Amino acid sequence: MSFFLETLLGGLMSGMLYSLVALGFVLIYKASGVFNFAQGAMVLFAALSMARFSEWIPEWLGMDNLLMANLLAIVVSVVVMFAVAWLIERLVLRHLVNQEGATLLMATLGIGYFLDGLGQTVFGSDIYKIDVGMPKEPVMMLESVFEGGILINKEDFVAALISAMLVLALTIFFQKTSTGRALRAVADDHQAAQSIGIPLGRIWVIVWCVAGITALVAGIIWGSKLGVQFSLQTVALRALPVVILGGLTSVPGAIIGGLIIGVGEKLSEVFLGPYVGGGIEIWFAYMLALMFLLFRPQGLFGEKIIYRD
Amino acid sequence: MTIKTNTERITFHDAIATMEVDFANMTFADAAQVDTMYDEIESRLTETGRRWFFLVIYTDCVIAPEAWDRFAERGKNANINHGLGSVRVGATAQTRDAIRQSAGQESFRSNIYDSRDQALLALGEMRKRKRDMQAATEEAFLRVENVSLSFGGVKAITGVSFDIKRGEISSIIGPNGAGKSSMLNVINGVYHPQEGAITFLGNVRRQMNPRAAATQGIARTFQNIALFKGMSVLDNIMTGRNLKMKANLLQQAFWLGPAQREELEHRVKVEEIIDFLEIQHIRKTPVGRLPYGLQKRVDLARALAMEPQLLLLDEPMAGMNVEEKQDMCRFILDVNDQFGTTVLLIEHDMGVVMDLSDFVVVLDHGEKIAEGTADEVRSDPVVISAYLGASH
Amino acid sequence: MFYRENGQFKTTYKSDQQVFAIPQDRWAILAIIAFAFLGIPLLVDEYIFRAILIPFLILSLAALGVNILVGYCGQITLGAGAFMAVGAYAAYNFLIRVSGMPALGAILLGGLTAAAVGIVFGIPSLRVRGLYLAVATLAAQFFCDWAFLRVKWFTNDSSSGSVSVADISLMGWTINSATDKYLFCLGILVVFSLMAKNLVRSAIGRQWMAIRDMDVAATVIGIRPMYAKLSAFAVSSFYVGVAGGLWGFVHLGSWEPAAFSIDRSFQLLFMVIIGGMGSIAGSFFGAAFIVILPIFLNQMLPLIGGLFGLEVSIALVAHVEIMVFGALIIFFLIVEPHGIARLWSTGREKLRLWPFPH
Ligand SMILES: Nc1ncnc2c1ncn2[C@@H]1O[C@H](COP(=O)(O)OP(=O)(O)OP(=O)(O)O)[C@@H](O)[C@H]1O
Ligand SMILES: [Mg+2]
Repeated sequence: MSFFLETLLGGLMSGMLYSLVALGFVLIYKASGVFNFAQGAMVLFAALSMARFSEWIPEWLGMDNLLMANLLAIVVSVVVMFAVAWLIERLVLRHLVNQEGATLLMATLGIGYFLDGLGQTVFGSDIYKIDVGMPKEPVMMLESVFEGGILINKEDFVAALISAMLVLALTIFFQKTSTGRALRAVADDHQAAQSIGIPLGRIWVIVWCVAGITALVAGIIWGSKLGVQFSLQTVALRALPVVILGGLTSVPGAIIGGLIIGVGEKLSEVFLGPYVGGGIEIWFAYMLALMFLLFRPQGLFGEKIIYRD
Repeated sequence: MTIKTNTERITFHDAIATMEVDFANMTFADAAQVDTMYDEIESRLTETGRRWFFLVIYTDCVIAPEAWDRFAERGKNANINHGLGSVRVGATAQTRDAIRQSAGQESFRSNIYDSRDQALLALGEMRKRKRDMQAATEEAFLRVENVSLSFGGVKAITGVSFDIKRGEISSIIGPNGAGKSSMLNVINGVYHPQEGAITFLGNVRRQMNPRAAATQGIARTFQNIALFKGMSVLDNIMTGRNLKMKANLLQQAFWLGPAQREELEHRVKVEEIIDFLEIQHIRKTPVGRLPYGLQKRVDLARALAMEPQLLLLDEPMAGMNVEEKQDMCRFILDVNDQFGTTVLLIEHDMGVVMDLSDFVVVLDHGEKIAEGTADEVRSDPVVISAYLGASH
Repeated sequence: MFYRENGQFKTTYKSDQQVFAIPQDRWAILAIIAFAFLGIPLLVDEYIFRAILIPFLILSLAALGVNILVGYCGQITLGAGAFMAVGAYAAYNFLIRVSGMPALGAILLGGLTAAAVGIVFGIPSLRVRGLYLAVATLAAQFFCDWAFLRVKWFTNDSSSGSVSVADISLMGWTINSATDKYLFCLGILVVFSLMAKNLVRSAIGRQWMAIRDMDVAATVIGIRPMYAKLSAFAVSSFYVGVAGGLWGFVHLGSWEPAAFSIDRSFQLLFMVIIGGMGSIAGSFFGAAFIVILPIFLNQMLPLIGGLFGLEVSIALVAHVEIMVFGALIIFFLIVEPHGIARLWSTGREKLRLWPFPH
């Protein structure tokens, strides 16, 4: 029982990270109809930036206050991600308005490759660590409920909390601010939004900035847990089934989809894996997504539009 | 002497609505052999989705007594399901007797002739009789009955009925959003109406897919040109021959005899259409680079390449200048004249509608508000007020 | 002055329908093929064969397959690597499990197996497209990655999915030297290219392009989307599968599933984008470009770095390489979606009109 619960919780934790990445997908897709394959590269880029600046800044300034260094590194990384967003709009998207979905998809693949290369050229390609002072020690829980209790990382709790706060902040941003409302107008209808004077270009920059921030949060959480390395970039591919499951246009879908995939992966690996030789995590998620594609293409929460690029 | 395969023994002559079956030199030793041949015939007939006259060649064909019953039965069935009438050529004395005998039993004419030419002549007579008879009973060529179509809450068409006669040019007119394009989409199977039925050439249907409509001989052009942008004019028109091309993937990959022959045959046909529409000079141009008027013409060419019985044209002259419109009118009249194609078109330019149409249907807000000759419709007060209402 | 087609009128439709309607083109292609068979083996050394020419030929074949699906039929795929893997491992199994199976037979059967798998994973294309289809092909990729690593039957119980094939032979001709391998691949590529050209210029090719350009209009003239799309998946996967077999049997000799990972899939897609979507020649251009660029950068970057007194590490070259790929993808998508092939034909048209530009 406790083993099952531990697996479940482990799944929820990784699911939450998928949710964060999926959230990036959904934001950009809603506002610009672009599926951003580069989201994984953005996570890597942001994490690398964070890891290296938190290392470099104390050197440059000759201080050793960890908190200060981290805060500065976060600020610098946010600026870096904003610059990336701005450049992507300027150099790529602007020239591909009204192109087919497949073309845009391939373009973001190109962006992803470029960012992967650039990130490693600028920041290096070793394994780096991010230390934002997350509590590492595991705690025992629910000992009173059943024999042995379950073992949990405090870090995961903090991470969950941060993600939840991010989602909350985004919701408020979208519902309450005028920029947020403009964003939703664009999502609903590009031409209409343009005709009432919402500047598409600026909106896109903002969305990509927001996606950049979610990438940074995901990068910091993941990086401090597992270290910053190239494989972080594959997180986009792991989070892709999430949005199919949740629906490409739905924020709650991204979050719940992420949790389902996270838990599904872990449970299937632990309980199904041994019978088929293990390692089924990734394709399990994709097969699940494939089933959805065939029988419910709009996902759990998406709008019912079947033929969309 | 080359031996034909069963497939090669069946030929369809579209122009005279005739399927020719060549049993020459065949031997039917038992019921199984009869079945193989007739299964092929039936499946080919079913594929066309329409009825045919049969021209059957019996020269030196041997039907064993054991096979005869099955042969008669299958023949009869093919006739009942897909036939309009049969003529037969060169049966051996034995077959002739057998046919005559079963003819006596089943009370049908045996129609046996000595040469193919004689048979064809008789077939011509038979077709004429049939046509006259049809005209007399006035079975509509295309009948739209009580069709209703809605998208979610939006009612695009409400209870519309009308008949289109063979060989005429008819028009659908009406203000914007009246449901004209939707009507064409229902007729050629792109939209599926919630209510009502379409009868085309005697086949009644509620729903069908566009391919089935195409097989029955319905072709169309689109309001917003729907050409294949990445392909040349020639290739666009060649796709119109798609349904008539039968070579398989391997034959095409290796450019084997049948594939090559087919490609040439259809190319000749397509060149005729290109000449007819006077677009020789742009044959090899990618359609994306053509001006609007020419694109419309290519769209028409692609539809004509299907050699349709019914041609649906959705605003063929929209956005054209006077000269281009005149050309297009001439083409439509010529198609109707020379190929006997029935045309149903949507047009906003009343002048054009007057000039072209034998019959006009007026839609407004998805309902039929009038029908009749162009003059009748034009002076109808309901139509006038619909148009005035729409322009305000 | 020698490149002129003016004044040559096609007298029959038949001559107009030849693969290369312009005689100069026909002769040029024949000359290139003849040179590839006869000239190159005399001129080139072992390294060039192994590092450039053989990979180029095999990847061209794979790119041809991807181009049929992506460029001609308009269906995106991010799982081409998986179909290479299916081709390679299926061929391996045919070779070792069927006694007396010739290598070429095994490779072709491997291609057919890939075609069958391709049809299965192509089924979602009947309902969805764009990104959603990409997900279906990724599913194929990850499933195959896993299957060949974990299901021992496919790899004859070898550990970590690595298998190897001894020298192969074709009707008594043992293919073991680099030259032999080159000629073997070249022969297959020539035949397959001709087949691809035939397909795209006949009815089936027009069906593919019609579905790509305007699917509603295509169904209205009687094209069945299901047949058109699934046949594109089948033919494409067949090509890719045969390329996979060659990659394993001829180029690598022994391989692991990682040889056909998702990076391979992206690489093949990039070849098609850079080379030219919807162009047979484009597949060759793309393959050549992607095979040569890393080698070029490997040679050039250290030199350039040297000019500025910089040390250029191997890792840096690798990073610059993927940056360049990324940038080029974006560049071609924005500036010339028809890739190098279009640049080439525009250039040629200019040459054709030279010296009178208008
Ligand atoms: N695919 C569709 N989905 C939803 N509504 C549709 C669709 N097609 C047509 N409609 C609606 O059906 C109604 C009739 O449209 P239709 O295109 O048939 O009009 P029309 O008479 O051809 O007009 P026009 O002269 O502008 O071409 C319109 O209200 C239109 O919005
Ligand atoms: Mg209309």
